[in-house]
Amino acid sequence: MTHVAGLILLIMNLEESKSIVRACISEITDGEVDPTDDMNLIGKEASLDSMKLVELCLALEDKAGDLDFEFDWTSEAAMSRSRSLFRTVNSLAEEFHAQSQSKE
Amino acid sequence: MILITGASRGLGRAVAERLVESGEDVLGISRETEGLPFEAVACDVSDYNAVKKIAQDLRKQKKEITGVINAAGIASMNLAVTTPPSMTQKLIQTNLVGTIHCCQLFAPLMIRRKVGSIINFSTIAVALGLKGESIYAASKAGVEGFSRAFAREMADFYIRVNCVAPGPIKTDLLKGVSDEQIEAIVSQQVMPKIFQPGDVCDLCEFLLSPQSKSVSGQVLHVGGA
Repeated sequence: MTHVAGLILLIMNLEESKSIVRACISEITDGEVDPTDDMNLIGKEASLDSMKLVELCLALEDKAGDLDFEFDWTSEAAMSRSRSLFRTVNSLAEEFHAQSQSKE
Repeated sequence: MILITGASRGLGRAVAERLVESGEDVLGISRETEGLPFEAVACDVSDYNAVKKIAQDLRKQKKEITGVINAAGIASMNLAVTTPPSMTQKLIQTNLVGTIHCCQLFAPLMIRRKVGSIINFSTIAVALGLKGESIYAASKAGVEGFSRAFAREMADFYIRVNCVAPGPIKTDLLKGVSDEQIEAIVSQQVMPKIFQPGDVCDLCEFLLSPQSKSVSGQVLHVGGA
């Protein structure tokens, strides 16, 4: 039961992370981009330009501060893990979630 | 607050002291901090994680950074063929890689507020191709190339990036260089005279000020080259 509860919490937190990433994207684009989980953040089909991607990282850094953990988007590990944390909204949310868990 | 690397001596210290006199809030960043007449933190800029720690601390403290001056640097006057590989590494790591570290880690502190000025120190040795300074000049040519491209990357965030390239100015960096050698270099400047640390301070104050709001991606030679 405890394991299941923990799993649910984990899933909820990941969903929460996705919501945070999506909200940040909406905020920095003034609502012009309606983000989906599989939306590309880098590459030919990227929905954000490089300037907006930096703003997104800073917004997530601030959000992490509010939630009392450090979101490190500049580390070698974060950049190289599964190629790049910036592949999609989902991969960025997963990294955001993972870092929130590791700081606990 | 203005961040200044290499603030413990030479031109970095002169600029830091000038800015303090002008009423600026200054944070010096240097390997040695003992006895400095302004707030300072010990750091080797070639150490990425050490620079990152300072950036993280400043962000947590919500410091408003308006300028970054990268004056940390080392010099070695030698023919390339007589320069040991360890010195080559040291020159590139401190002068070029250290500057890149500080730019990439401190710039985000200014991006949030969309204002700021970054000044990277180069040298007249790049423009003049001075004999005996090939590796030093290579490290600083890297700084100039980086700064020009970085200026374009930062332009969207209203952050300006420029280089100041002094000629021979009597600081610790020049000890060991004879007066004849200094005169030979000075004679190649557009204005063939020895400039003072105060002249470099004037240029830095200008580049930090709103009066230079149209200047970015430039290399400004003290004395002309």
